[in-house]
Amino acid sequence: MANPSMTHSFRDSPVLRPSGLIVLALVAALVAIMTMTGSRITLSLFAQAAIISIMALSVGFLARTADLISFGHAAPFGLGAYGTALIFRHGIPAELGILLVLLAVFALFFVMGLVVGKLNGIAFSMLTLALGQFFFVAVSKLRAITSGADGMNVSVPSSLFGLPGRTFQTPDGMLVIASVVLAALVIAIYLFEATRTGRLAMGVRENEERVLFLGYRTKLLKAAVLATSATIAGVSGVLFALYQGFVSPEIMHWSFSGNALIMAILGGSLAVWGPVAGALVFFFLREWLSDLTEHWHSVLGAILIAVTVAWPGGVTALAKVVRARLTGRKQGEAGK
Amino acid sequence: MIVNALNGLVYGSLLFVLASGLVLVYGLRRVVNFAHGAFYMLGAYIGYSVAVHAGFIPGIIAAAAALIAVGVALDLVVFRKLADRDPLVTVLVTFGVLLILEDFVRTVWGTGNYAIDPPALLSGVVQIAGAPFPIYRLFIVLASALMAGGMVIWLRYSRSGLWVRAASHSPAVAAMCGVRTNVLGPLVVGLGAAFAGVAGIVAAPFLSLNPSMGAEILVLSFVVSVIGGLGSFGGAFISAMILGQVQAFGIVYLPEMAALLPFLLMALVLVARPQGILGKKV
Repeated sequence: MANPSMTHSFRDSPVLRPSGLIVLALVAALVAIMTMTGSRITLSLFAQAAIISIMALSVGFLARTADLISFGHAAPFGLGAYGTALIFRHGIPAELGILLVLLAVFALFFVMGLVVGKLNGIAFSMLTLALGQFFFVAVSKLRAITSGADGMNVSVPSSLFGLPGRTFQTPDGMLVIASVVLAALVIAIYLFEATRTGRLAMGVRENEERVLFLGYRTKLLKAAVLATSATIAGVSGVLFALYQGFVSPEIMHWSFSGNALIMAILGGSLAVWGPVAGALVFFFLREWLSDLTEHWHSVLGAILIAVTVAWPGGVTALAKVVRARLTGRKQGEAGK
Repeated sequence: MIVNALNGLVYGSLLFVLASGLVLVYGLRRVVNFAHGAFYMLGAYIGYSVAVHAGFIPGIIAAAAALIAVGVALDLVVFRKLADRDPLVTVLVTFGVLLILEDFVRTVWGTGNYAIDPPALLSGVVQIAGAPFPIYRLFIVLASALMAGGMVIWLRYSRSGLWVRAASHSPAVAAMCGVRTNVLGPLVVGLGAAFAGVAGIVAAPFLSLNPSMGAEILVLSFVVSVIGGLGSFGGAFISAMILGQVQAFGIVYLPEMAALLPFLLMALVLVARPQGILGKKV
């Protein structure tokens, strides 16, 4: 942060521009109003949506920063959730334990990133699918540790991070907590993209060979991006375990990885917040469709096809078009 | 011991037929078909329904015909339109196809398990090394060998096979020499889908039918492709055979760990050779 050019680039970051701050304030106000007036069911839906948004954010971050499509992010999510359940069961100090779990997820995926760093594109996607399924099978089979298919109860301690443990299990409490975490992560990613490392990561995404030619080592950076993305998914898993009070192998099944990916695609990767918008759209679309028809899987599949084929930018592209209309600028400039 | 090895051969040859469908489509279209497992499942269910009423052979024919239609449609409607887009976009579309097909199977056949008996002609056992071994499992190996062998002969010795190999090797150069990828597309994708569908119905009396069979086999055939090296038939063959043996012996000697072994094997291979056994260097 000592480098003056870097502070300059921080100021460039859209999140610190007035518009970004206004959006943040609006979201905060909306969450506040909701906690005061919303019904328990609505609040619970939004709390779950906020937790899943963090998951979608992690998948989107990886796609946006490294152009890697993960079909296996249920693994770090589930590791975060199961890790939380296990530290509570074994009486490890909760705050320290959760940090250790996240650190372990980071370390694991960092090593994995070093090993598979050479794989790109489809090979990487296939690998993540297989690895994700590895963790699913492992959690289902290691009954002595995870109770297998029966799942585990998460006994949240009476006090956690200075808040009463109950707060994490009530809809309004979790909605606020998850929204704050989500906002903090979105801001952190925006700021990261303005740093030198963030730009280097973008460079690697665009053309790794050139970045190598410039004398940078890209291997560690790619591994770190993968590990960071996995850790964000882990955070989502921790919150999920705290809120639900129960974890079972289903959360590590590949269909969950697939859903997270659909959210990220629906949102588009033109903006950091895209996956969050995609997750909200997906979550409420699913609620609505599953009330409407039992074939919501088909409808979802059809929507996924339509969006990827006809409208690759997702929600973020739509937002850019709308903003361009509102401000009267041409579409090309609006993205700046 | 010998029976274990034979069981591994049965499983490995099924995996190879599936993986070779993936490799064939990947070669021409540079797309990994995430709906491949769903094709396998659809073939098994359609074949099952026809076989119950009309016999096993018509079941196989019905599965092949239905899946050829699905594959041709997939190529005409999706792959051809998206040929000049990022392959990952097409991969996501196949994921959407997977969701739709799984829902279709659940709707038509429900979520229960189905079992089907092998045809009477193949239902007995033979004595191998003093132990009884179902004849049907040997038929699976034979059928897989015929399918894989037929495909290799087609690719190697026919004119259209030559075109497919050329287009897989270098689409641009092949196109300049007059190979029309868009004409080959429906043929290749239809054939790949039919391989999956026939594998499904052929495997049905050996495994059982349930709505998660597609996902399980998809993950394993990905493991085969990644271990063998993406786009390599030889690599897929070697890794399918190894994986079949690992599964067969794993179930006997490490029953708790058997389901994890393919992934451990994959991790080991990737540490040593990131591009897979016979993959091109990346």
